[in-house]
Formats: sequence, C-alpha cells, structure tokens
Amino acid sequence: MQITSEALERAIEQLARLPGTGRKSAQRIAMHLLRQQDETVFELTEALVELKKSVTRCSVCGTITDSDPCNICSNPKRATGQICVVEEFQDVYIIEKTNEFRGRYHVLGGVISPLQNVGPDNIRINELIGRVNGMNEEINEVILALNPDAEGEATSYYINKLLKPFEIEVTRIAYGIPMGSELEYIDEVTLSRAFASRNTF
Amino acid sequence: MRITHISLHNFRNHAKAAVEWAPHLNVITGPNGAGKTNLIDAIHYLCMTRSFAAGSDQYVVAEGEKYFMIEGSFEGEIRSEFNVSCSYSRGEGKKMFVNGSPLDRLSDLIGMVPVVVLSPEDQKLTYEGPSERRAFLDGFISQISPSYLRDLIAYRKVRRQRNKLLQEFSGPVLSLKQYLEPWNEQLVDNGSRIVARRTEVLNQFRRYLAEQFETFSGMKLKPDLKYQTFCEPDTSSSQIREWYENKLEQNLEKEIEREQTLTGPHRDEVIFYLGDMELRNYGSQGQHRLFTVALKLAQLFYYSDELDDLPIMLLDDVFGNLDKEKTEILLQTLQNHTGQTFITSATEVPFDKLDCSPGSGNSRFYLENGLIEKKQ
Repeated sequence: MQITSEALERAIEQLARLPGTGRKSAQRIAMHLLRQQDETVFELTEALVELKKSVTRCSVCGTITDSDPCNICSNPKRATGQICVVEEFQDVYIIEKTNEFRGRYHVLGGVISPLQNVGPDNIRINELIGRVNGMNEEINEVILALNPDAEGEATSYYINKLLKPFEIEVTRIAYGIPMGSELEYIDEVTLSRAFASRNTF
Repeated sequence: MRITHISLHNFRNHAKAAVEWAPHLNVITGPNGAGKTNLIDAIHYLCMTRSFAAGSDQYVVAEGEKYFMIEGSFEGEIRSEFNVSCSYSRGEGKKMFVNGSPLDRLSDLIGMVPVVVLSPEDQKLTYEGPSERRAFLDGFISQISPSYLRDLIAYRKVRRQRNKLLQEFSGPVLSLKQYLEPWNEQLVDNGSRIVARRTEVLNQFRRYLAEQFETFSGMKLKPDLKYQTFCEPDTSSSQIREWYENKLEQNLEKEIEREQTLTGPHRDEVIFYLGDMELRNYGSQGQHRLFTVALKLAQLFYYSDELDDLPIMLLDDVFGNLDKEKTEILLQTLQNHTGQTFITSATEVPFDKLDCSPGSGNSRFYLENGLIEKKQ
C-alpha cells in the first residue's frame, strides 16, 4: 500500500486516539472533514484550541472554568456554607443539572487508591481542609458525594476523619433505589443499605 | 433446575455438537479421551462461568480456533424457561448472556443455575492446603447467596489496596495507621460478614455431611469439620467485628514486617475429621475418597433443602474408582434424588442396567471421536 497523503494519515491517527473512536470511525471523520468547507473545519479546530487554552481549573473548588474563580465560587448566592465534595468535574456538571444543590463544590480530582499509586496527598484533600479552616468561606456543612465503591468509601472515611476537629456537619448523599426502577431488579446490597438508611414518611 | 439442550462450538474437541438432555439421569460413556468431561464441563461453564477442569479459558478453545461458544436451554421452578450462553474469543475475552442479553458482571450468573461437581480434581480438597477448601467453601456459599459473593469480591479488592499500602509505605507507623484506617473499616465490614456466613453455613452443613457419609461409606467413624478463623468458634455475628478489629490492631507490626494483610477470612481454614483423626494427615486413600464423595453429596442435599430449585449434579469419572457396593449405593442415591444428574464413565457397567426407555427420564450417550450418539 502507498500513502498518498501523510497529512490525512496523521489526522486519522490523532482522531483514533479519542475515546470511543476506532480506526474505522477515525477514517470516516477525517474523510468527512476533508469534504467540508475550510471555514467549517477551522471553526472546529479553533474551538478545540480555545478549549485547551482558556479552560482552566478554578483555584478554589478545582472544577473547570473560563474564569478563575469559577462562577459558582464567585457567586455570593452560593455562599450557603455548604461544600459538596465530588471526585471529578463531570460530577459538578451532573449535580448542577438537578438544580437542587445551591452551595459550592470541591473537586478532588480522584479518589484514594494505593493500587493506582494515589494517596491522600495526590488529590485535593488538603485544599478542602484549607477551605474549611480558612477565613474566606464560612463552612458549616461538608456533603460527601463520592462513588459508593471501595475507593470512594475509603476516601469519604478519610475526609470525615480529618474534618472531625472542625466541628462542622459532615454528611453524605443517601444510598438508595434509583427512581423509576423496580425493587425486583435492585441488587441486595443496595436494597439492604436503602433499608438501613430509610426515612420517616 | 434442568438443562434441556446444549450446543457447543469449538469447545475443546467438540467442533460442533448439540445434545438434548434427559430430565433425570444422563450417562455419558466412551473411551478415554473421547471428550466426555468436556461435555459436562460445558454445562459447568453455563452455571459457574468457568471450567472445573481447565485452568484458563484460552486452553478450552479448540486448537487452531479463535473462539468458543456454548449455548444452553434451562427450565426450572423459579423461571420456567431461559437460555444461558457463553462466548469467548482470544481477543475479546469471555461474555455471558442470559436470554441473549449480556451480563455486566460474570458474577451475576452465579447461583442462577446451582451446580455440584464431583471430579478427580476434588482429591485436592482433602489432600492439599487450606486454599482449596476455602475455594470450595466460597463456591458453595456464593451459589446460595449473591450477597456473600459480593462481599468476597469487595473484600478481595480492599485487601489488595491495603496490601499495596503495606508494601510501599516507608515512614512513621503512626501515619501508616492513618492511611490504613479507611481500608480497615471496609475490610472488617466485609470480612466479618464473610466469617459470620461461613460459620452459619458450616454449622448447618455438618449434619448433611454426617448423614451422607454414613449412608455412603457404611463406616462407624463420624465425619466432622472444624472452622478455624481469627475468632473463637461460634462467636456471634455482632462480636466477630470486635474480634476482627482487635486482631487487626494486634497484628499490625507483623503486617508491616510481612508487607501483607494477615488477619481475615482469606486466612481461614476448614479441617476435615474422621472420628478424632485429622483426615488430611492420617486418612487412608480410601477414606479420602469416601469423604470427598460424601462431601459433594452433602452439598447436593443441602442445596436441595435450601434452594427453591434443585441443583444440577455433575459426576466426572467417579464410578471407576469405587467398589461394587459403593457404586450401587451412589447410583441408588442419585436415582432417588429427583434432580438432574450427569455422569461420565469409561465403563458401561453399572449403567447397562439403567432404565433409559422413553418416559424413564434417563438417557445414555456414547461418545467416540467427538461424535455423540444417543443409546436406545
């Protein structure tokens, strides 16, 4: 086989590195882009460059933002004294969509996992303690919203322990039954946890 | 629970095979190396997601092929009819399907079709180290309790995380303790539940073992089993936790030195006894064999009492090693039990007298050169 365009080949290779994209899809996308108007393609590349250039991490909560601090951290209405601790910035996005939580966030950027060489100092736990301890915010509740797996549990446990001396409320989101699901299909662990943390009707 | 039909593709020496099974006894005879074990091993795959004979899936693929497929149709009391299939390819690994929809986790299948196996592999159970018996116990309980299996999986994960900490940590013990604590919490949580469940099941199981051993061996000696863990026998569930926490605390120094978790159900032992004699060290070859058969029959009858659906029994090459009397007792026991049973044997005796007429519920198959023939 002979390659007639190395530029095309390079584009395919780059596209194939994206999640969910194999070589076949990468080829299709590259061919599609070639057939487009120049401006259309430049709009795309500009958006990508801009994405990397202007999106940074909020120096307070660690979520992604165009301006630092992010518009949640700089919004006085969100100074409710509550901080919701999440693993990744995607989780902020998901919780924001619910419109339920009106406080601020703290993105850890990972969870403790010795097997992946991630210790408490490799994620933004110290920054969280700093916020609770600091003068800038008046924190009275930390809500732990990490995934209920072994690593998430260990991280929650660790944070709870560190927050003990500050005498603030530390809560966690409930374990429970997903809405719209049927009890029949819920696994036993979830069901028994949901029972243990049942509420008064 | 019964399997009514199985079809195989590239499964060991079966390039393509399909069999309709009888609801009660199924006897497969044929020369050595014909592929008899493979047939019932395929059934085992559909119950436990893996082989009872081969170590790894890759050796199960027929030589020179890239994948294997097993499909089975089942019927039972809880679910009247369903299909289970298993596909494996060298590139993509193994997938299990129930009624055509893929399972997220292979472990979700365990317990759907309870199975008891008795094979020459089982001599390891009484002869070898504690890990064999733990594996037996775990397979045993997992099939009747999905939450036990989940605890086991969670426990293993937490233990690996904890071991990594113990291996890599170099610093003051005080800060190591701080790092271990979140993991200890979950280790104790899952581990205590595992120990409580093992205690409970073994206590119930004891009676079944004694009953089967007496019927099958005719010996006066009473079989028994002793469960050894980090707490005293029959500690109540609520106190197991406390024991665990204390032992973990006590063992910390040793754990740092050995760089691994030293307390927990992963170090448990089940000791088999005949009378006062420890079977592993003092039992004769014959006693070992009788014990193993009784152990598996006890599992069969325990399941039959505990579960809503009868388990499937697989006996691989068991009859050749038993004397005439034991052979008759075993066959009679299996005939009296109403569940479905599969037997492989190199010899036709004693199955030549088995009633396999239509309506008997039994079938005999002859297997040679990968060809399966139903005997009339």
